[in-house]
Amino acid sequence: MDAPALGDNSQLAEHSYRVRKNAIRMAEVHKQGYIAQALGVADVLTVMYFHAMNVRPEEPDWEERDRFLLSVGHYGIAHYSILTAAGYLPEEELVTYGLDDSRLPMSGMTHYTPGAEMSGGSIGLGLPMAVGMGLGLKRKKSDSFVYTLMGDGELAEGPTWEAAISASHYKLDNIIAVVDFNAIQADGPSREVMRTEPLIEKFEAFGFFAQRVDGNDLDALVKAFDAAREYDEPKPRIIICDTRLGNGVHFLENREKSHFVRLTQEEWDDAYEALDAWKTTRTR
Amino acid sequence: MSTAQTETAAPAKNAPAIIASSVDEGHRTKQAPFGETLVSLARTMPEIVGMSADLAKYTDIHIFAAAYPDRFYQMGMSEQLMMTAAGGLAKEGFIPFATTYATFAARRCYDFISQAVAEQNANVKIVGGLPGLTTGYGPSHQSTDDLAIFRAMPNLTVIDPCDAHEIEQLVPALAKHDGPVYTRILRGAVPLILDEYDYQFELGKAKLLRGGRDVLIIGTGFMTMRALDAAKRLAADGVDVAVLHVPTLKPLDEATIIREASRTGRLVVTAENHSCIGGLGDAVASLLFRSGVTPAMRQIALPDAFLKAGSLEVLQHRYGISTDAMVHSIKCWL
Repeated sequence: MDAPALGDNSQLAEHSYRVRKNAIRMAEVHKQGYIAQALGVADVLTVMYFHAMNVRPEEPDWEERDRFLLSVGHYGIAHYSILTAAGYLPEEELVTYGLDDSRLPMSGMTHYTPGAEMSGGSIGLGLPMAVGMGLGLKRKKSDSFVYTLMGDGELAEGPTWEAAISASHYKLDNIIAVVDFNAIQADGPSREVMRTEPLIEKFEAFGFFAQRVDGNDLDALVKAFDAAREYDEPKPRIIICDTRLGNGVHFLENREKSHFVRLTQEEWDDAYEALDAWKTTRTR
Repeated sequence: MSTAQTETAAPAKNAPAIIASSVDEGHRTKQAPFGETLVSLARTMPEIVGMSADLAKYTDIHIFAAAYPDRFYQMGMSEQLMMTAAGGLAKEGFIPFATTYATFAARRCYDFISQAVAEQNANVKIVGGLPGLTTGYGPSHQSTDDLAIFRAMPNLTVIDPCDAHEIEQLVPALAKHDGPVYTRILRGAVPLILDEYDYQFELGKAKLLRGGRDVLIIGTGFMTMRALDAAKRLAADGVDVAVLHVPTLKPLDEATIIREASRTGRLVVTAENHSCIGGLGDAVASLLFRSGVTPAMRQIALPDAFLKAGSLEVLQHRYGISTDAMVHSIKCWL
């Protein structure tokens, strides 16, 4: 995938369906997991890997690639779903997710998985590491971008803001931070755990080109990522993506306990059916 | 093992509590060996970059910053960001020397170094100023637990060099070593001792600096310098003291330590500018315990306490790491 595969959005919808299906297959191994996040962020990752980012799945360490830093390590399931859909990983490996000696550990780590560029999981590392890689890429006079996927909960971490200050100070216009704003964190709704709004105003005040989009609207995501890449002022960029947990499987959407989901086998069977039904309504 | 107790007369209480190196009377010094060596090394290693969290002047990396302004990253007062960004720079093929005070590196940045540097085996060199008790500012700046903290971190090499001569040899060795390293350093006017001992720093190697029949001092950091001075003083009293210098605390040169500690009839004394918990004394004791080597052992180290603020000379003596205190303790133990 030298040049981004600029498919029309029906192709992106098809990819995002496969990403969701991959995630369901992985979570089914344990009958539990961060499936709601994976479904919610599937469209964001689809637009990143199939439209915005310049990557070569067959050559994960290609020097000119755009970098992708998974700050939210527990989104490993989402990352493996997109890496598989994009061709980094074979589909048959999905069912090893979280098993002993698998290349797909529960929390994403760099030494395990082709295409995993950092060990996340300890929340708040993504943007600081993007600053270091952004500085390094500038030193190398590289045109590559550094993308980092963060969750809304980690916007409460201090080093995220240390990094925001320095990204602006060093004019790191090669950073595109992406926040999966699903509004739920481990202890409950983000606005109750720790309110971080107003985010656009905060990031703009910190010197970012900040956008906020519906993270389950492929058209809006394509436009936002295009705008982030093409923006011509020397500022770091951030896209806050409001996503719906469980998106694509109706009975997982708005489920009360959705941060870590446990389902019966029957519910898993229903999940595939629900996803297929949802797909027909979505693809135009 | 027990920590040294000091009963000799303390020095006068009039020295200011400023940031200082530990230069004992009569020692030659060399100015800013870390900064100067990094500058000369960087001429042939373009991948070296420098970083500071608003303490460049106080870690001697300001010399590098002046020589290579475009290769120096001032990260502001955000140590956690600096360590994580250093991991990012290393991922892009650079060799960052990330500098701050030892205590901020160890206490404030532990998770960030663990996950962004050590776990990912990033080629970052963490350089901590003000090692152990080298400031009278009090516990906020006294890095009495950094060796314990960093020894517990997998993948990380941990070093406590003795003097300017060693720092000059250490810096190129760190740059050539592919992997994460933590080293403490002295800054400013740094004592120059080991050039007289035909000493060559090797990563992971302990070196016997002098032989002796009665006592084996196993020292690290500037306590090796004091061990050498103590050995001379004790020789005048007919006590023959050997000194083994252990700059690399991890990985420990187990073979050399076991070999020297196995020689019968010598009191083994460990000496470190660090808490009695988790540093050299603990490392040597557990090694010998696991190896079934059980000489008579004593430990010279700082107490397990938040130390007082005050003048450095008074504090170092009070807490048992001055040369006088060391001589006194060893005499008591013989």
